[in-house]
Amino acid sequence: MPNLTIDGKQIEVPAGTTIIQAADKLGITIPRYCYHPALPVSGNCRICMVEVEKQPKMQIACYTPVTDGMVVKTNSPKVLEVRKTVLEFLLVNHPVDCPVCDQAGECKLQDYYMEHGQYDSRLGDVKVKKEKKAFSIGPTVMLDQERCILCTRCVRFADNITKTSEFGVFSRGDHSQLDVYPGKQLDNNYSGNVVDICPVGALTDKDFRFKCRVWYLSQTKSVCPGCSMGCNITVEWDKMRPHQLKKARVMRLKPRHNPEVNDYWICDKGRYNYHFIDENRIQHPQLNNDLISWDQAADTIVTVLKQLRNSNRTNRIGVLASAQLTNEDLFVIRKFFKEDLKGAQVDFRTPEKPGDSDDFLMKADKNPNTAGALNILQPDVDAAQIVQKARNGEIDLLYVFGHDLVTLFGKEALYQMSKNVKLFVFQGSNVNETCRYAHLNLPSSVYAEKEGTFTNCQQKVQRIWPAFLPMAEAKGDWEILSLLSEKLGTKLPYQHSNEIFKDIAATIPAFSEMTYEKISDKGMILKA
Amino acid sequence: MEKIVTRHFGQENSHHIINYLKDDGYKAARKALTQMTPAGVIDEVKKSNLRGLGGAGFPTGTKWSFIPQANPKPKYLVINGDEGEPGTFKDKYIFEQDPHALLEGIIITCFAIGSHKAYIYIRGEYIKSMETVQGAVDEAYRAGFLGKGIFGTGYDVDVVVHPGAGAYICGEETALLESLEGKKGFPRLKPPFPAVVGLFGCPTVINNVETISCVPPIISKGAEWYAKLGCEKNGGNRLFCVSGHVAKPGVYELPNGTTLREIIYDHAGGIPNGRKLKAVIPGGISAPILTPDQIDVKMDFDSLKSIGSMAGSGGIIVMDDTTDMVWAAMVAARFFAHESCGQCSPCREGSGWVYRNVKRIYHGHARPHDLNNLPGIVNNIGGNTICAFGDAVSMSIGSYVSKFRNEFEAKIKDRVCQI
Amino acid sequence: MPVLHCVQEKEGLITPEAEGNIAEYLGVPVVHIHEVVSFYHLFSQKKKGKCHFSVCQTTACALKGAEEVIEHIQERLKLKPGETTPDGKFSLSVVECLGACELAPMMQCNKEYKGFLNKKKIDEIIDNI
Repeated sequence: MPNLTIDGKQIEVPAGTTIIQAADKLGITIPRYCYHPALPVSGNCRICMVEVEKQPKMQIACYTPVTDGMVVKTNSPKVLEVRKTVLEFLLVNHPVDCPVCDQAGECKLQDYYMEHGQYDSRLGDVKVKKEKKAFSIGPTVMLDQERCILCTRCVRFADNITKTSEFGVFSRGDHSQLDVYPGKQLDNNYSGNVVDICPVGALTDKDFRFKCRVWYLSQTKSVCPGCSMGCNITVEWDKMRPHQLKKARVMRLKPRHNPEVNDYWICDKGRYNYHFIDENRIQHPQLNNDLISWDQAADTIVTVLKQLRNSNRTNRIGVLASAQLTNEDLFVIRKFFKEDLKGAQVDFRTPEKPGDSDDFLMKADKNPNTAGALNILQPDVDAAQIVQKARNGEIDLLYVFGHDLVTLFGKEALYQMSKNVKLFVFQGSNVNETCRYAHLNLPSSVYAEKEGTFTNCQQKVQRIWPAFLPMAEAKGDWEILSLLSEKLGTKLPYQHSNEIFKDIAATIPAFSEMTYEKISDKGMILKA
Repeated sequence: MEKIVTRHFGQENSHHIINYLKDDGYKAARKALTQMTPAGVIDEVKKSNLRGLGGAGFPTGTKWSFIPQANPKPKYLVINGDEGEPGTFKDKYIFEQDPHALLEGIIITCFAIGSHKAYIYIRGEYIKSMETVQGAVDEAYRAGFLGKGIFGTGYDVDVVVHPGAGAYICGEETALLESLEGKKGFPRLKPPFPAVVGLFGCPTVINNVETISCVPPIISKGAEWYAKLGCEKNGGNRLFCVSGHVAKPGVYELPNGTTLREIIYDHAGGIPNGRKLKAVIPGGISAPILTPDQIDVKMDFDSLKSIGSMAGSGGIIVMDDTTDMVWAAMVAARFFAHESCGQCSPCREGSGWVYRNVKRIYHGHARPHDLNNLPGIVNNIGGNTICAFGDAVSMSIGSYVSKFRNEFEAKIKDRVCQI
Repeated sequence: MPVLHCVQEKEGLITPEAEGNIAEYLGVPVVHIHEVVSFYHLFSQKKKGKCHFSVCQTTACALKGAEEVIEHIQERLKLKPGETTPDGKFSLSVVECLGACELAPMMQCNKEYKGFLNKKKIDEIIDNI
């Protein structure tokens, strides 16, 4: 394996590694526009040029393979000078729209200029005007041809990752224009990713357009709950100025790099499905049409539970758990309903129609934690059977976690359940039609307000972190059950999701020896 | 002086195979394929000191020897007939008046490098050339000099004529390969070089039209004879194209090493209308411009390099003393700005910027610091690009500014045209 | 490219429909066909005049009066570079070196090179179309 020195630091890397990759491994970040680790090399921006000993000319780091004994300098005066030069050329025709450009604050032209530029402009010329400015090229993306530095990342993305080839660079010289094929739109399931990879503000997200300056955003790591792929994401939220944004906290989602799950990408459905975090939430416990306190709500439930337990009729408890819940939520459901209230009928497998899937990231199972639910709940009844019993009056307490039962079973069924079940509890984060038929509605947290874990379709356990506190009076799902357990007298010993996970690892063989530290932000696969 | 490449020029129907055969046509090819080995042919060409006549002047035999014979992929020969370098028009004559010389050279070269297929890339505007060459190719096939098992040796050689479509950058060898493969003429990152990874990823030799046309005489008359004709390290004659302010613009075959003065005054008739020489471009627009005190230079690759210019494509453009040098620089800058392919940032933005800068100086809209900035800008392009186009912009525009700075300064001071 | 040349010659222009058909025929994404069409000078998405003048403006021709040639054609035909006459007979474009510097100043009329141009010659050429 070749051994080379970069800025005095030595490293051994596999043959075929390029200088820029070796430098990244050492933590030395060479500036780059056209280079992207997931895309084929193009070598056209020229900003990654470095000095290589014994070579008369400077070489581009993104394309030059390392050789044994190579000595590379990435911060010599010559290299710093060339970076200034390239920046100057890129800025010759750049419109410098910073005050109105969404990319400001995360723009590579700005960043590298502040690091390596800082020269006085000697331009004094009219800039080349291009055809399309602030032009919609599809349902999700806006194009500004003048801001484009023609790095061709988007062209290579469309050619190689989605294989849909929407983008091209037309004409030549400094009249070159990036565009989609005239008349065609950027309309594939991964269109939002081109905004992530565009180093400048040429391709911007319509959903995020003019919404929030990026320096107001806080970032929290999480996992997309849209399907069983469990793409790693970062939830970006603004707590500073919610009054300007209709009290919305989350401004956007960005994919997080995980080479084993989603690499650098996320599908559009996952990317743009965050509005439910702030919109249409159930905010207060409600009994029929009256808002009540948590205490009152808990009492209402516990009264029925005590009756059923004392008369040995816990089999008249029906629980529709959900694969949208975290492993921790599900374990507490198992403990509370299946163990402490032995006989309760618990399942999560509602008859949903499988959703869209493709051979890239989208999975038909639109739940983030099916594998976890199977391993933890190990259900022995069928959700549809529970619903049927509820309709027939064989269930006294029906506890539903978030499902949209009207879509699944129809209004008639819900009407019957509402009539024939003694206490119909709906615990969920967002309002859906079921709420109108439930007797008691309890507000719970969304994933972005929880700490916990999901298990994806690869059997990989991944952690999520809470970005902010639950909205209004909402509580975490397992926290609500904890409250009930206290009143019921079977008090669950958990103060923190960490403690629940320890128990999961101790109880469920597939999770054995797992800890939050070991999982970290990359995930761990279940044991077979 | 013995005429080599131009020996059939001017004869009626010189492009027909019948007339080519009358003058020992295809005998050199037969000799190579039946009496010599590929390595022997390469050796002979090396000894002849034949150097690439498209512009780079790279020793031809050496280039051929870079083809890795052990590589199992098919080998290709590509003839660069894009002839886009301003000032150059010699290959057009070879296409129209002696295409069979080129074809014979192709056969020998293919044999030498182990190739069975050659592409002749002819610039799209050369309609007559394409028709003539295709006609010659058809004649050669009919005569059995191309196709399967030529000269009874079992060696196949196929030739395809491919049109360009109006892009100077396709004269750059890797851009030409991209164009042959049906894409935009974007030069490739090097290494790997075409000899290892070329057309369709296979080992490829790319040579200029004139270079290959010199090969048959080398094989029939020997490397020593050819080497002696020119000067040290630069054997044979070459076709010099003279244009601009001369009495007799045209193609002149002269030995490598002839002085520029001789070419302009003795052969091209000197400068008409009693005017004096002011400047001359010695080797196509990419070559740094020369002043009258420099025209005793020998026109060969090494001599021109030593005085800071280049022999390039042999395109000599003569400018008399009515020429405004700032205007000439503007015309050159305009050419580069129009022909930049736009792939890499220094050339794409830089060539346009340089043109607008020089244009402002010419029209009297410039400020004093514009002239001071220009050399810096121009120098920043060269050396930082994917291909030599950036270096060409750098060297050529840089030479106008450095050698005629007083004219640029006058424009800025007086804000009027110098002439 | 040979395919594009065929279409260009036969139809006089390359329409988006043609690009789509070529893309299918060659198995190449249509956007990349369009890239090639827009990159090369000789491919056009607009129909040119029956007689298309491409006048060279690079150094050798410029030295011999290319600017006057262009001006004269513009005057006579009331055309700016890139335009076609309303009757579709003539169109004009200004191009870089055509490899015929020995004929400077010169232009290409459809397929032919016409050199040593002056006002008289140009008038002759135009009048004889």
